[in-house]
Amino acid sequence: MSALTPIAWIVVGYAALVAAAGAIGAALRAPRPRWLDQMAWMLELLAGVLALGALGAVAAGDRPDSMATHLGYVAALVCLVPIGLQAVRGDRGPWSSGVVAVAAVAVGVVAVRLLMTR
Amino acid sequence: MTQEQRPSGGVHQVLLAVYAVFALAAGARSLVQLATKADEAPLAYTLSLAAALTYVAGWFAIRRAARGSLGFARVMLWIELAGVVTVGTLSVLEPGWFPDATVWSDYGMGYGFFPALLPVLGLLWLRRVRH
Repeated sequence: MSALTPIAWIVVGYAALVAAAGAIGAALRAPRPRWLDQMAWMLELLAGVLALGALGAVAAGDRPDSMATHLGYVAALVCLVPIGLQAVRGDRGPWSSGVVAVAAVAVGVVAVRLLMTR
Repeated sequence: MTQEQRPSGGVHQVLLAVYAVFALAAGARSLVQLATKADEAPLAYTLSLAAALTYVAGWFAIRRAARGSLGFARVMLWIELAGVVTVGTLSVLEPGWFPDATVWSDYGMGYGFFPALLPVLGLLWLRRVRH
């Protein structure tokens, strides 16, 4: 289970980077760049690794205090970025970068909560 | 303003995203708490569910407001602000009423005070849209 901790902090750090990039893009009123989408999908990949690690730990016998809450965080972890990107599909306006930023912040918070509930 | 219009600007997209995240977070949290330990703090968990429903309604209200119908959003955002202030104040003055925290306890401190900030940001946006 301890291997999850560094992965979670990598997710948190990368989510902060994506959130900062999205927030700066929105603040500068710049159209959403393609590379922000790529960064978001990279975050989704990292979140997926963390989710698999968390599920693996549960399968290996770890019992979180609240299994329902823990599994809810695992589900949220992998759903947030795709839902956020879907919400701004076809819209490359500056505020769509803000939506990506919100999704990234949420992923970071969920990653921390996941560590707290294990 | 009753006629539907094109959404102005795009700040509402960010507000919608935050409302969606809060509706999910508060809804999932309250449903799990009510399903697994409702007897421990029924008032707190019910208020969290009420907060989640408020965020769902707020999401629809902001979407409508972005298209030009401001009335529902104005009502919902004030209800939400009143809820945060009331529950936040009660949780400070009467902590015994809340054996477990609600989403709006201590003015949303558990969520970085975003629950208190969100309706204010929404009302500021609404004011900008109106003018």
